[in-house]
Amino acid sequence: MDLEYTPEEQRFRDELRTVFYEKVPAEIRERVVRGQISREDIVASQRILHEHGLAVPHWPTQWGGKKWTATQQNIYASELQRAAVPTPLAFNVSMVGPIIAEFGSQEQKEKFLPATANLDIWWSQGFSEPEAGSDLAGLKTTAIRDGDEYVINGQKTWTTLGQYGDWMFLLARTNPGAERKQQGISFILVDMKTPGIERRPIKLIDGSVEVNEFFFDDVRVPVSNLVGEENKGWTYAKFLLGNERNGIAQVGTSQRVFAELVDAAKETDVEEGTLADDPDFRSRLHTAKMRLLALEATQLRVAGASADGKPDPASSLLKLEGTRLLQSLTALRLDAGGTDSVLVGDTEGTDGTPVGLSSEHAASTAALQYLNMRKLSIFGGSNEIQRGVIAKAVLGL
Amino acid sequence: MDLTLNEDQEAFAESIDDALARKYTAEFRGKAAASDVGWDEKLFSTLAEIGASALTIDEEHDGLDAGAGEVYAALYALGQNAAIEPFLDGVYLPSWLLSASGSAPDEVLSALAAGEAIAAVAHSEPGRVWDAAPATTATGDGSKVTLSGTKTAVAHADQAKWLLVTASGDAGFGVYLVNGDAEGITRTDGRTADWTRVSRVTFEGTPATLLGSAGDQGRRAFDAAVARARIAVLAEAVGLMDRASKVTVDYLKSRKQFGVTLSTFQALVHRAADLYAEVELARSVALWATASLERDAQTDDTDVDATADDAFVYIAQAARVVAEEVVQLHGGIGMTFETPISHYAARLTSIEQSYGGVAAARRRVLKSGSPLTAPTVVRS
Repeated sequence: MDLEYTPEEQRFRDELRTVFYEKVPAEIRERVVRGQISREDIVASQRILHEHGLAVPHWPTQWGGKKWTATQQNIYASELQRAAVPTPLAFNVSMVGPIIAEFGSQEQKEKFLPATANLDIWWSQGFSEPEAGSDLAGLKTTAIRDGDEYVINGQKTWTTLGQYGDWMFLLARTNPGAERKQQGISFILVDMKTPGIERRPIKLIDGSVEVNEFFFDDVRVPVSNLVGEENKGWTYAKFLLGNERNGIAQVGTSQRVFAELVDAAKETDVEEGTLADDPDFRSRLHTAKMRLLALEATQLRVAGASADGKPDPASSLLKLEGTRLLQSLTALRLDAGGTDSVLVGDTEGTDGTPVGLSSEHAASTAALQYLNMRKLSIFGGSNEIQRGVIAKAVLGL
Repeated sequence: MDLTLNEDQEAFAESIDDALARKYTAEFRGKAAASDVGWDEKLFSTLAEIGASALTIDEEHDGLDAGAGEVYAALYALGQNAAIEPFLDGVYLPSWLLSASGSAPDEVLSALAAGEAIAAVAHSEPGRVWDAAPATTATGDGSKVTLSGTKTAVAHADQAKWLLVTASGDAGFGVYLVNGDAEGITRTDGRTADWTRVSRVTFEGTPATLLGSAGDQGRRAFDAAVARARIAVLAEAVGLMDRASKVTVDYLKSRKQFGVTLSTFQALVHRAADLYAEVELARSVALWATASLERDAQTDDTDVDATADDAFVYIAQAARVVAEEVVQLHGGIGMTFETPISHYAARLTSIEQSYGGVAAARRRVLKSGSPLTAPTVVRS
């Protein structure tokens, strides 16, 4: 056993750090820390990464992939998160990109992959529906063939950042009469400017609009937008879920949040000394620290063991604990700030100008971030689903 | 970067598991614990023959001079079977103390390596926390030191050929070598909750020999040896947790209630999944601590104590969750002496309180800078 990277791996990490810290602007990374990242930040940052060959490292090499080892992929994800660089848009780089590269036509590859890697196209995911959340195969949206076109009718929901979407990849029923609900589903690309699409923003618990609903009313898309074979969409969706493993434990993010938490504790006065001297808070910090260490060690231990293309039960463990931990860190942050935590930054003064009630204080927006992070254990396969996967795939229950 | 045992270490763990697995039923363990010596002598010899007793002793004394990874492998396998053969407290910890002193008689180390005898470490005292200076006194100097005082929870003192006794003398803290049958020793034998044989031992003018040097240096050497034991016992804990949760999963698949197996109830299945997560995360921490030890052995770093406390605090918490869950998921049968699960839970409970216990480890951690230092496995 050893705890050090090889000299090559260290060199690799140093090269990444140069790009992450010196090429990606500090203002963007600061906004990531404050949870105030914009569309422009995500685009700008991904283009910088792409310019340095770091936006789509797990794609096939002819489309910009790097053929990294599992350890290198780990280093990449952790360093990116730790540096507070916006993660390259998952819908583009982890979801639709690999699907098109694997199953798309040559024409689709040429048309979409370079633009997807460079975030010239912003993709949205159209999977979930009101009646099909964790039970995704229960989706009802239909795409019925009419000559050279599919006619799409139905409703998609929980479309993250859909307000920015140029295109959407969606799952729809091309054969509503299929015997099993997993059959007769196709993977289709939709230009969001197509007539018949209506968006409704969904306001969230923290007041933000991060997700949307989309209504499709006789939306006509060319058959050439079908990816792979008709009625095989479920297979491709499963391939995609197996792809989501990278960085799923959020180790780098939690390391960064932990360091911020310690800094904040050192700056918060209590009766004697600072919060960083308080035995109860120290104890909670230590618990979080050791959970983080356990998570990182587990990620390093299982990184090499996972097989590509199939959902890896180890990724369920990493998702389960990674999200629980990040959530508990945001809870600690909330408690550290006390009453200040629940203040909301930008609000209006009596003269109508924006006032940052708590903006000078480190606890600003802690409650909003805490509330927003409740999503972690719900999306990407809820933690109950992950427990189900572990029970079935690992324990044989 | 690698946090897994190598092939030889895996094979070693398997050979120990093989030697134990067929025999170590709850009934066997109960009988072994109730025997004259408190464990199964034949099994102890078998394990000694495949190298279990020689791991931590240098080649000069017929040992294998193995590293932390091998110790992990051995204790993990012993833990998987809830085996009570006294390798950690009877051989490894004494050997670390003896080796650190540089003044141990050759025959003691050779006898331990061969599995011919065990030694016992006597440190705990009634009503005194582990970290306090011993109330037991060492009087005299040179070759005529005598000890007086009372030690408690001395594991395997009844069978130990030698006792390694901590005491306070003129020069401060020291570890003293005492023959098990020396004069002035009074013993009251009993057991712990996990059926380990322990004794209260009183010394009255008992002749003893100082090992190494007394004072701060002696205390540091003692603490470092115990820190190794704290890390080693975590491997046993992970072995116990691993097997206990597997047995529990099997139970959920086979036990029927309301006409169906327990595995049809989602509430139970999800608890089993959490159990799995708990064990795998704890395994990672135990391997990290072991790898840290291996690294420290090469670089002479001195943060073994801190690593041991960090890891101990984490895994003690996991051990408690797992011990409670495996009993709960077994229902009433988990409470009985005849099921292996009860032995696993009892042993895990003892491990949480070993070497001064988890609360003391937590106190040390909180006084240190550890809670405020950013965690990372990878060192550079």
